[in-house]
Amino acid sequence: MIAHVAWRLSRRAAVNLWRAPLPSLVSVLTIALALFLGMSFAIGLAFARSLLVSWGAQASITLYLDPATTDDQARALLARVLESEPDADAVYVDRAQALRRLRVDLGDLAGALDGLAQNPLPPTIEVTPRGSPEPAVVRVIAAQLQRLPQVAQVDYGREWLDKLTALGRSLRGFGLGSLIAVLGAALLVVANTIRLAVYARRDEIEIMKLVGATDGYVRMPFLLEGALQGLLGAGLALGSLAAADRWFLPRVQQAFVFASGVAAPQILLSHALLLLGIGALVGLFGSWLAVARFLRT
Amino acid sequence: MIQLFHVSKCYPGDAPVLDDVTLRIEKGEFVWLTGPSGAGKSTLLKLLFCADQPTSGQILVGGRNVGRLTQAGVPFLRRNIGVVFQDFKLLENRTVVENVGYALEVLGASDSEIRERALRRLEQVGLKHKATSLPLRLSGGEQQRVAIARALVNEPTILLADEPTGNLDPGLTDSILQLLFDANARGTTVVVATHDRGLLSRYHKRTIALDKGKVTSDA
Ligand SMILES: Nc1ncnc2c1ncn2[C@@H]1O[C@H](COP(=O)(O)OP(=O)(O)OP(=O)(O)O)[C@@H](O)[C@H]1O
Ligand SMILES: [Mg+2]
Repeated sequence: MIAHVAWRLSRRAAVNLWRAPLPSLVSVLTIALALFLGMSFAIGLAFARSLLVSWGAQASITLYLDPATTDDQARALLARVLESEPDADAVYVDRAQALRRLRVDLGDLAGALDGLAQNPLPPTIEVTPRGSPEPAVVRVIAAQLQRLPQVAQVDYGREWLDKLTALGRSLRGFGLGSLIAVLGAALLVVANTIRLAVYARRDEIEIMKLVGATDGYVRMPFLLEGALQGLLGAGLALGSLAAADRWFLPRVQQAFVFASGVAAPQILLSHALLLLGIGALVGLFGSWLAVARFLRT
Repeated sequence: MIQLFHVSKCYPGDAPVLDDVTLRIEKGEFVWLTGPSGAGKSTLLKLLFCADQPTSGQILVGGRNVGRLTQAGVPFLRRNIGVVFQDFKLLENRTVVENVGYALEVLGASDSEIRERALRRLEQVGLKHKATSLPLRLSGGEQQRVAIARALVNEPTILLADEPTGNLDPGLTDSILQLLFDANARGTTVVVATHDRGLLSRYHKRTIALDKGKVTSDA
């Protein structure tokens, strides 16, 4: 009995959707737009995040030592560093090595160094954390190393990392806030569409109730109609995302990959299901709002 | 089966539509409810299937106090009551057979069962050939018969009919009334509101007369 009633009610919901396509279309498009924006933003954020992480991995921490440090002291220090940071590689770069490196880096301009009376470069220890630590982890390691003796200064690209982290955080907050706002708007549009549908069929509702339909039975086709709108909207959003993934992202990816080695994000089945679920829920809840209000009066 | 205790119904600013009505209708009875236009007949019927609430007094239907029903309980009361509305209340955008089947649909019957039973009722009221028409394409009397078919389709224990013969010619009136008598013979309690005095004299049944909301005679 449940099965054929469910079948009948879903059929009716589909027919009703079909009979008043215009308001339904507005609902569907609004939900699609909301989900498309939300999902693009989430994908962009995930992408930015993996970029950030990959930069974090490249970031090495440079310990500038006191120029008076002897080679023996520096090697002892290197041992301490390796001991205290087992998840990092570290090398000692003495002053002569540092100058040679600078010469190589400068290339044609290296002649300028010949005029120097003495080597101005301090000895350094370069620490490279293994894996892809989060910016926050890099920061903690740097702070620990700062406390070692003979370490004059620690450089880990701090400003970059700090800025990126802050940017990521505020983007996430902004994204979440606007996603909620957009989904809320979609919900209200659905509620309004269903309210119109309820109003257009108030005679039918009255008669259904007079011949003994329960509120649940009256409500069900509208809820299904709302959920259907949500599902269609999510489907549309998924289609657009897939199209963007196919035509637009490859070009963007070309621009980024060589710089970062980070693969472009992919739409997974779980993402698709999540999107469909959210769409259906928004539609369902929107129509529930509309119908609950009507049945109470 | 149906009991009213000191039931009054007032709309603010007007004289009471029902004024201290007390009556009792036994299971299996056939009752005429009569009185001039505006006497309160339709209002009384409405209170019985919970389409409206009395201002004061108690109403028992099938042993249940209608005033104490929760919102969830109302549909289950109505499933035992077939109603022929004075204005028919047919769905314009549904075919005749769908309209009749509506009362079964909300009970969760299967499509084939609904169709079969609805068609059988339509045959009884002589409208099987109009099964796929829309109600607006029917004459007033035909619409009335569709409304009667819908009220009877799920074999209700109580049948409330509000002017069920108002639009029918004498020959049809007799055959429609025969349907109500048949339902009554099968055990259904039937209350028919009418101001057609001819009916009352032709078919001697218990007659409750209302005037200005008061019961003026009951015999
Ligand atoms: N919703 C309402 N608001 C105010 N007054 C109402 C309402 N419904 C009915 N009435 C009044 O109640 C009175 C009785 O109405 P009712 O429909 O019960 O009469 P009736 O006996 O069925 O008359 P008829 O034979 O013409 O159908 C009428 O005077 C009507 O104006
Ligand atoms: Mg009336």
